[in-house]
Amino acid sequence: MYSIAKREFFQLFKSIKSILIIALLLLTTYYAAKFADVIIAIAELSSEEAKDAHTAGLLFFMLLFGQLFVMALSHDVMNREIYERTMRFLVTRTSRTSIIAGKFLGVWLFWFSCVTAAFLVTIVFSKHFNLFLLAQTISLFTFQVALAVLLSVIIPKPAFSMFIGVMAGIAFPFFGFWAAFLQDSWYSALRFLSPYTYLIRDDYTFLVVFIGSAAMLLAANELFKRREC
Amino acid sequence: MNAIEVKNLRKSYGETAVIQGVDLTVKQGEILGFLGRNGAGKSAFINILTGIIRPTGGSFSILGCRGLSDQVKKRIGVMPDYSTLYSSMTALEHLQYFSEVSGKKKSTNQCLRVLALVGLDGDARKKAGKFSFGMKKKLGIAAAMIHNPELLFLDEPTSGLDAESVLHIQQLIQDLHKQGKTIFMTSHNLHEVEKLCHRIAIMKEGRIVKAGTMEQLRAHCRSTITVSLKHLPVPKMQTAMLYDWLEGFGTEVEAQETSTRVTIDAEEKIAQVIRAFNQCKVDILRVEVDEPTLEEIFLEE
Repeated sequence: MYSIAKREFFQLFKSIKSILIIALLLLTTYYAAKFADVIIAIAELSSEEAKDAHTAGLLFFMLLFGQLFVMALSHDVMNREIYERTMRFLVTRTSRTSIIAGKFLGVWLFWFSCVTAAFLVTIVFSKHFNLFLLAQTISLFTFQVALAVLLSVIIPKPAFSMFIGVMAGIAFPFFGFWAAFLQDSWYSALRFLSPYTYLIRDDYTFLVVFIGSAAMLLAANELFKRREC
Repeated sequence: MNAIEVKNLRKSYGETAVIQGVDLTVKQGEILGFLGRNGAGKSAFINILTGIIRPTGGSFSILGCRGLSDQVKKRIGVMPDYSTLYSSMTALEHLQYFSEVSGKKKSTNQCLRVLALVGLDGDARKKAGKFSFGMKKKLGIAAAMIHNPELLFLDEPTSGLDAESVLHIQQLIQDLHKQGKTIFMTSHNLHEVEKLCHRIAIMKEGRIVKAGTMEQLRAHCRSTITVSLKHLPVPKMQTAMLYDWLEGFGTEVEAQETSTRVTIDAEEKIAQVIRAFNQCKVDILRVEVDEPTLEEIFLEE
């Protein structure tokens, strides 16, 4: 599992796409944090409200574009190897659960490194570290990576998963926020499917997002066990 | 102990049955050649045994363990039919990665030694994307043996290789057998199978139609035997008598001044043919019995 995770992790740093996304994430975070003090002054925010203003750029990035960027980089995390038949070398050497876990862990570590680095950038300006916010952000990208792994197992062709992935990445924040605020309608139960429902609250309900991610990974694992390579 | 035991193995895709109730045993330490025409089900059979696809029914055990557990996977080496590799990784990186995935990480020197065994030591740091088909095959074999497995599945290990490489890989297979490894190989090269394998199984339309040693297959196949004799000229007085007798005795006779070919229906009749020449005082210089080749046995199916 760890060797697969290691390869996936380093492989992600090698593509131009990932370098651009890392640069965009860090630049957005840097400039948002840098000009946060100006915004705080203009908006006349209280010290309590201004406490996390420096992370606004990072949160904006992850909430709106997180799924799109995760899908752009990892839409083919599983199906590329099945399609190109390199998966045959892996399934004859280790368990399918180890492959799924390794792939997920590799992509997850990539985003963990990027988000942690971005958080460190905000600390330079805010002189304050909000572990709760970091944990919430981790729960969000955990969900996004698990969704990417699941879609990559369900969709057999990488070109098709790229298309579906981009569509899903664009729709994800719109659907997510819309569903999170649904009330008093017959379809309001949809809000429980959206990670934003749990993230907009300032308590530990965001931990439910991890449960949702685990459920998607279990589904991906069961599907992959039945998949011919 | 048997290295592989397969009982009533079946695989279907909808209405189409690819493997139809196959029973097969491979003893530990032997090389089994698995033959069949394209589409006979050979690759599907190997893919089931190696965990690439799931069977529809039946059971199998590998190295004494039922099914294919993770522990057994560490003890087998597989060279799939399509040697598609990671184009951005070098040959050396492939072996390091695969050995790590197998749970038996090998050092750079150990990987280089395995690459040398398949004749790729000079290309260790070249990217697999730049490899020819033959080089990819060799790297596939190296990847199958990098973790020193007890049982190797080689799907057409020499197809697409040049003559020198074929001999090199054949020698490697023999060396692996000398080290006590069990080898399950498929091939379209019948001479190669005849040369390397202790036992042969022939698959047709998802069923094993023949299995055994070359001798057993020959005995099963042999309905007629052709005896070729080189001899001194038959005295004119005896010619008619001898050839009349041979024509009555054999099913087909081709006679020339110093050579005769007689087709008979039983091995025991060879001695009687020789005796007939001796009785006519004809000195026999050479006797050849044409045994069916694997090609003939295969084509008979």
